[in-house]
Amino acid sequence: MEKSFDLSLVNDFISIGILLTAIALNTLERLESCVKAYTYNSWLLSLLILVPAVTTGNPHLYVAASLTLATKGIMIPLFLRKIVSQQKMVHQVQPYIGNLLSLTLSGVLITIVYASLSKGISVTGFSNHALKVSIAVILIGLLIMITRRKAITMVVGLLFMENGLFLTGFSLTSGMPVIIELGILFDVLMCVIILGVFIVQIRHKFYSVDLDASTTIHDQLTTLKG
Amino acid sequence: MTSMCIYYYFGLLLFIAGAITPLVFPQKTKRFAYIFPTTGACAFAVFGMYLLFDHPLDISAASITPFLEFVFRGDAISGFFILLISILTFSVSIYSMGYTKDMVNKGVMSVLFNIFILSMYAVILSGNVITFLISWETMSVVSYFLVTFDRKEESASAGLLYAIMTHAGTAFIIAAFLLLYKYTGHMDFAGIKEAAKDIPAGIKTIIFAFAVIGFGTKAGIIPLHTWLPQAHPAAPSNISSLMSGVMIKTGIYGILRTVVDMLGVGPEWWGIAIILIGAVSSVLGILYALTENDMKRLLAYSSVENIGIILLGIGASMVLASSGLHTLSAIAMTAGLYHTLNHTLFKGLLFLGAGSVVHATHTKNMEEMGGLIKLMPYTAFFFLIGSVSICALPLFNGFVSEWLTFQALLFDFKSASAVAKLIAPLSGAALAFTGAMAVACFVKVFGISFLGMPRSEHARGAEVASPSMIAGMGFLSLLCLLTGIFPGHTIKFFSSSVFSLTGADFSSSGTGILSIREISSGISPLSLFIVMISLFIAAVFLVRIFGGKKKITYGNSWDCGIPSLTSRMQYTATAFTNPIRVTFKKIYLSKRHTKASYALKPYFAKAIEYRDDITPFFERYIYQPVTDFIHSLAGKVKHLQSGDLHLYLGYILATLILLLIFWS
Repeated sequence: MEKSFDLSLVNDFISIGILLTAIALNTLERLESCVKAYTYNSWLLSLLILVPAVTTGNPHLYVAASLTLATKGIMIPLFLRKIVSQQKMVHQVQPYIGNLLSLTLSGVLITIVYASLSKGISVTGFSNHALKVSIAVILIGLLIMITRRKAITMVVGLLFMENGLFLTGFSLTSGMPVIIELGILFDVLMCVIILGVFIVQIRHKFYSVDLDASTTIHDQLTTLKG
Repeated sequence: MTSMCIYYYFGLLLFIAGAITPLVFPQKTKRFAYIFPTTGACAFAVFGMYLLFDHPLDISAASITPFLEFVFRGDAISGFFILLISILTFSVSIYSMGYTKDMVNKGVMSVLFNIFILSMYAVILSGNVITFLISWETMSVVSYFLVTFDRKEESASAGLLYAIMTHAGTAFIIAAFLLLYKYTGHMDFAGIKEAAKDIPAGIKTIIFAFAVIGFGTKAGIIPLHTWLPQAHPAAPSNISSLMSGVMIKTGIYGILRTVVDMLGVGPEWWGIAIILIGAVSSVLGILYALTENDMKRLLAYSSVENIGIILLGIGASMVLASSGLHTLSAIAMTAGLYHTLNHTLFKGLLFLGAGSVVHATHTKNMEEMGGLIKLMPYTAFFFLIGSVSICALPLFNGFVSEWLTFQALLFDFKSASAVAKLIAPLSGAALAFTGAMAVACFVKVFGISFLGMPRSEHARGAEVASPSMIAGMGFLSLLCLLTGIFPGHTIKFFSSSVFSLTGADFSSSGTGILSIREISSGISPLSLFIVMISLFIAAVFLVRIFGGKKKITYGNSWDCGIPSLTSRMQYTATAFTNPIRVTFKKIYLSKRHTKASYALKPYFAKAIEYRDDITPFFERYIYQPVTDFIHSLAGKVKHLQSGDLHLYLGYILATLILLLIFWS
């Protein structure tokens, strides 16, 4: 009893850490920092899985934690950093909206999540907050995708959403079968590689990774039809 | 499962072979693959005749899931339509061997051709709602691809209109079937028919209206006809022949199957409504046909007219049935089905003829034809037979069916209600008017295109159609003559379908004589035929005997003193119909423009330009406002679709938040 209380408290702290890294993304100015925020987020996620792994001694959880660390914590950040360093332009995020407004919106989102999930759902996982935090991280990731201009920040937003989804699954089921987690991780890795290739290709094609420039594709298609 | 199913499976196999083999054949021999549908049509014709001798047959049933079950079943009604499709498919397949010689994408054409015919067979043989709807949609989609086959701009827009209209119609059909399912609890046609008498009267009326709108769109009743004059000219001619000859008849089949067969005898105004639709379609159809100079568009409008005539017969039959006069009802139904058969024969023939002409002259505009009778004598001859048949002149089949339709409308005075007594003779008058206009229309088509001098280089370079095309047309011409002079035999063929639709028999006596005992009137095209032949021979003999030998001198036509006759001195198609345009300008809403430039006023005109634009009433005042409304609505919705990725993501976020808030 004593031990499980401790575990819950530790995991709450880690959850809050995950949420904080997501919130921090709203104010970061440089692309490198965004990647770094994602790295921390992934490490915390892997730690969150490691804690119940140690206390329950479940080998599945060990595998999941180490795989998360290897892919999301090391391989994807390295790859992202490489893409960022290849870009010869300004390494600034250039959001559509100001940092303050962005932070406020994140706060509103978190409030909505906590308010609407406060009742009605019982979580069988390891932390009281993990589910709410995970939903909030998904929404913040989506907000980042909406308000940021560069393709690489879109990818980071997507990865945050994916981490949030992973956390949701974990908090609801206390660990999915290893084979599924393995598949998901592999998918994410592939997804990031493909998106990386896309970003490079977009830059070659349009001399910019600013997605505003690519809306003209749509317009050209419609003018062709009309 | 009886041994007759062998013919069904054999035919099915041949059509599938016809669809697949041309893909692997070498390019030069691809067109001979039409031998498969030709033989397949023969097999299905035997099968259809078996069904016509009143042997209902469960062909095959395959249950996929409890709700999705494919059932094919044949009875006398479907037998009649199977026979129609088979006859036309037989001729069109022969015709296609020559027609598709220079066509690009022959393989694809062959695939679509065979699937199209199979889907029509499937529509007719469907035994439950699901099978029917799947076959119906297959037929619509495949025919859409055939309409847009030449990939031209105007074909694409015609195809789009066709697709929209046919899908709107299908929506009504689905609604009608769902209502039938809800109130009878059956998906199966036989089950629906048994339980249909328990449906409340109000619901029955809704089902009737939906079925008429839905199937009427396919059949081409006015005002749902707009796709016909667009889609039929756009399709290759062998396909327009099939579409006009049999595909629009599946609409008639649908009306017969749902309204007459399933719902049974309804209130009298149902029949009156059908008569009115038929009268309006036939009168307006032929009036619009008259003003067309595009040969295939003209034939398409004429199809609208003929669908109207078919509906006049069916409507009269429904009116008489609700008055309890079953024998008379059977005669009226015979008239409707006879005209269905006839229209398949002569409209199929005319479209094939038009196809040969267009194939040879590379134009559909009759103002650029002329003098083709010398260059294409066989085509001209068969086209003439088709024209005479459609004009309902004696000896050919149109005469018999229109005579029967007249009788059916005239003895509607025996029905109970005063409205029917008033409407039916008036519709008879409308039919008489239609007949007269049809003669004018086809005199124009034949006279302008085939007689006189060639009006353009196109017409001068025309060549004789290939033997297979002539054979295809010849077969249909022969049938036009045979069904014209042996009406008694023809009626016996489908008397079982009439019986299963009306519950009564129309027994006509004699081989060449068609007599209606109930009103003691009759015709005998065969004796007319013999009399005419013998009169002709006698006339020739008399001239030979008493006329003596005459010297024939050849000379030039008088040319008003102008050095040489040119084709520009001929009557044009527009000029030919001008009196009719002027007489009916209230219907055409025509706008006439005359512009003349003079060398010396007022007698020496350099050039006179005359234009007469008719206003397409339904397109302009019904379809245009609806289209405009949909366009403006779509323009407003378009702002949601800005092409901005961030905005799309924003929609997702907004949706997620709303779901979170209103979830619990």
